[in-house]
Amino acid sequence: MSRFDSSWQRLVALARQAPADPRDETAPLGFGTRVAAQAASRTATTGWTLFGRLALRGLLVAAAFGVAAIALNYSVLTSDQSVDYAAVDTVGDLLDFS
Amino acid sequence: MDPAEAAFDVAACLERVRLRDQTAARQLVEHLYPLVIRIVRSHLPRRVAEEDLAQDIFLKMFTRLEQYQGNVPFAHWVSRIAVTTCIDQLRAQKRRPEFRWADLSETEAEVLDHVLADEREAIPGDALAARELVQKLLGQLKPDDRLVLQLLDLEQKTLAEISALTGWNQTLVKVRAFRARRKLQKLFQDLQSKEKS
Repeated sequence: MSRFDSSWQRLVALARQAPADPRDETAPLGFGTRVAAQAASRTATTGWTLFGRLALRGLLVAAAFGVAAIALNYSVLTSDQSVDYAAVDTVGDLLDFS
Repeated sequence: MDPAEAAFDVAACLERVRLRDQTAARQLVEHLYPLVIRIVRSHLPRRVAEEDLAQDIFLKMFTRLEQYQGNVPFAHWVSRIAVTTCIDQLRAQKRRPEFRWADLSETEAEVLDHVLADEREAIPGDALAARELVQKLLGQLKPDDRLVLQLLDLEQKTLAEISALTGWNQTLVKVRAFRARRKLQKLFQDLQSKEKS
């Protein structure tokens, strides 16, 4: 054992002889109740947070699908469809009794 | 099973806690508080209130309760959470106060003088001063080094106990203790050279 190790071991041996910590080790008044309540609320919050995250993710996916659908059908939506409707009048043809 | 655990039916209490019984949760906290506060007081980081740290430990305990399989006594499982929470807090405090001879009390300086002089007779002075001095010296080390010397040298825990508390294997514990003592030795040498100059 080196000289330092010997000195260190003598120092900690002396430190171990110090009397035990005299401070009270019982839980402060209301500590248990407070911690139990916080733990319960945290569990509930965690559940809601998970639900919220899933809901938000679902909303984002739905929004992305919506935007994609509009982008893919943009040309159809912006084209002049009145001409087509006039050209093919299926109902008119069916009801044409003349 | 620990005598304290035998007197208090931990298993039954845990069952009730899992069923969201708040009275059982309060009883569990009050039962474990002495164990947790002893760990907190021996590893308390600077500027952290012991009650706040104890509260963090209990909240972690409740959050991870589903992970407890019953392979080890519940008190051991909670001790490990307490030790790792303390070490995380210590790691968060990156800066450590500078250790200077002038900051030591008269008794602490006298104890340190005798230790450095390698005098064979019993060190005069008080054991409380020696404990304060040891804490100040350990406070200079990195959290992992501090923890291993605190558990091994001061609390005289076995390698197996330290391994169970920290999750480090026994070889790692021995290596860390060796390196920590070498760092402490350098600290002593620096202190001596500063004192001489």
